[in-house]
Amino acid sequence: MTVAAQIGPMAEVPPALRWGAVVNLLLWAIALLLCLVPFGLVLLISFGHKVEGAGWDWAFSSENYLRFFVGANWPAETTSLYLGQLYWSMRYAVVAAVLAVVTALPFTYLMTRQSRRAQARWLVFLLATLSLSEVFIVMGWDIILSNNSGLPMLFAASGVTDWLKDTGWFDVLRDWGLANPRNVKFKTSEFATVLTLSYLVWPYAVILLYPALSRLDPSLAEAARTMGARPWTVARTVILPAVRLPLMGTTLLLFVFLLGAYVAITVFADPSQHTTAVSIYENVRGSTLNAPFGAAQSVVLLVAAGAFLVLGQRLSRKSQGGA
Amino acid sequence: MGRVFGHLFMALAAIVVALPIVIVCSAALNGGRTMFFPPQDPTLARFGEFFFSEPVWTRALSNSVIVALGSATLAVLMAWPIAYALWKTGSRQSAMLAGLGSIPFALPPIVFGVGLGFFWSFLGGLGSIWAGIISHAVLFLALPLVTISIGLQAVDRAHLDAAATMGATEGVTFRTIILPQTLPYTISGFFFALVLSFNEFIVMFFVSASAFSTVTLQIFNSLRNGYTPTMAVAAVAFITVSIIVFSAVARWGDLPRLMGADQSRN
Repeated sequence: MTVAAQIGPMAEVPPALRWGAVVNLLLWAIALLLCLVPFGLVLLISFGHKVEGAGWDWAFSSENYLRFFVGANWPAETTSLYLGQLYWSMRYAVVAAVLAVVTALPFTYLMTRQSRRAQARWLVFLLATLSLSEVFIVMGWDIILSNNSGLPMLFAASGVTDWLKDTGWFDVLRDWGLANPRNVKFKTSEFATVLTLSYLVWPYAVILLYPALSRLDPSLAEAARTMGARPWTVARTVILPAVRLPLMGTTLLLFVFLLGAYVAITVFADPSQHTTAVSIYENVRGSTLNAPFGAAQSVVLLVAAGAFLVLGQRLSRKSQGGA
Repeated sequence: MGRVFGHLFMALAAIVVALPIVIVCSAALNGGRTMFFPPQDPTLARFGEFFFSEPVWTRALSNSVIVALGSATLAVLMAWPIAYALWKTGSRQSAMLAGLGSIPFALPPIVFGVGLGFFWSFLGGLGSIWAGIISHAVLFLALPLVTISIGLQAVDRAHLDAAATMGATEGVTFRTIILPQTLPYTISGFFFALVLSFNEFIVMFFVSASAFSTVTLQIFNSLRNGYTPTMAVAAVAFITVSIIVFSAVARWGDLPRLMGADQSRN
């Protein structure tokens, strides 16, 4: 306890106290109203009922959830269309998050070994790209990957396409869905989707790993090096164990972030591989217009995200306790 | 050998990160209506269209600026008392309030956007720009909350003790010590919220209900009709603003510390 903390409350005069209470109450009201009520509304409306041509009505039915998990015509028939979309949400998010973290880890480690000035410069660069809207990023990758410009054209013009055909790799690419009969193609493909998603969260991965890696004691790695350990051994036995938990926490956060990705999916993923986020959009504001069903899908996505967030928080708390 | 390899890896990463941005930005120079890379018939005419002559874009730009400035200000004003109470009392109640304020930022924005869409349609604010401002303020509340909290933790305890010994009231201490010392962090939080609000679109999409559009919304809406070089000008403008803002934060604030770097090492 510091002196200030002991004296502080006594020095306070009643009017200031009352002021504080008013502000406090106001903030609670605002926070509850704006941070919780929207989510509450989504939950309530997810039990609602669609009215043909007239929006929707309050109700308490589980039809929307039934439709999500087993299809609208259950029990006559079961469809797993919406579960399939959730599967694609998770699949893209997992692959892209892991890819981003695996490539960001060595980068961040090297960055933290640089001078403070150099670190600040890297951070400016990364924050600027991180804050750049998803629409611009997708635009950029779209130009790079689309069939009439960018890489496929470059491949054809530079003779790489012919070389691929000669060596037989072209057929392998066709098997992977990355080529049409004439040239390589990246749109639409899972490769392009994951690449863009991973790019989107890569700066986040660096920023999230940065605190843990910058606090890593360099003398540990140096000691291991002096004792004759090879760099790879140092990375595996000293650095990785020390950042294991932040690593998992970061992956989880990126995963949750990617669950809601929308633009990249609509541009780069095949319609048969679209995600829950795309379906939510279609139902709430898009062509199908079924707000209660969109809300139900949001709840499912939210539950998935929330579960992983809680897990991540537990991991990060554990890592702080252990440090 | 290892050093060379490390530098190569970092350079490669920087190139990949910069690649799509450089391509979009250079597409802004195209003379025609189509995006080409490399740009054909380079001209700066698109900049004039975006900033001055095309009403669609100038209106969208002014909406973006209004929403970003308004929501960042509002977010800082809400974040300050929450962070201050948390730092001062450390009570469970204030921690809960801070946690509550961070929820929208932590969850997938599409869900928050859908919720806010319902919320504002009940309150009658759907499609109005003030609803957009409030929505973004709440969405990005977590950012000034974090930076101000970091700033408050950095306030020199010795100064507080000295002030208390000399009989300063809480108000005087707040004005003369706490506020000046945390100003860089407050400004950083403001700028983080500002830049992210500028670039956000999915929440704004649900809240605006097509009644008004910001620059990102305008681009998002015309995404399916193909790109025009004028959109690329928007990208140039946005990345420029981001770089200026974050450079300013790095220049006048302690960016590595804000990002959670270890204090003891330099």
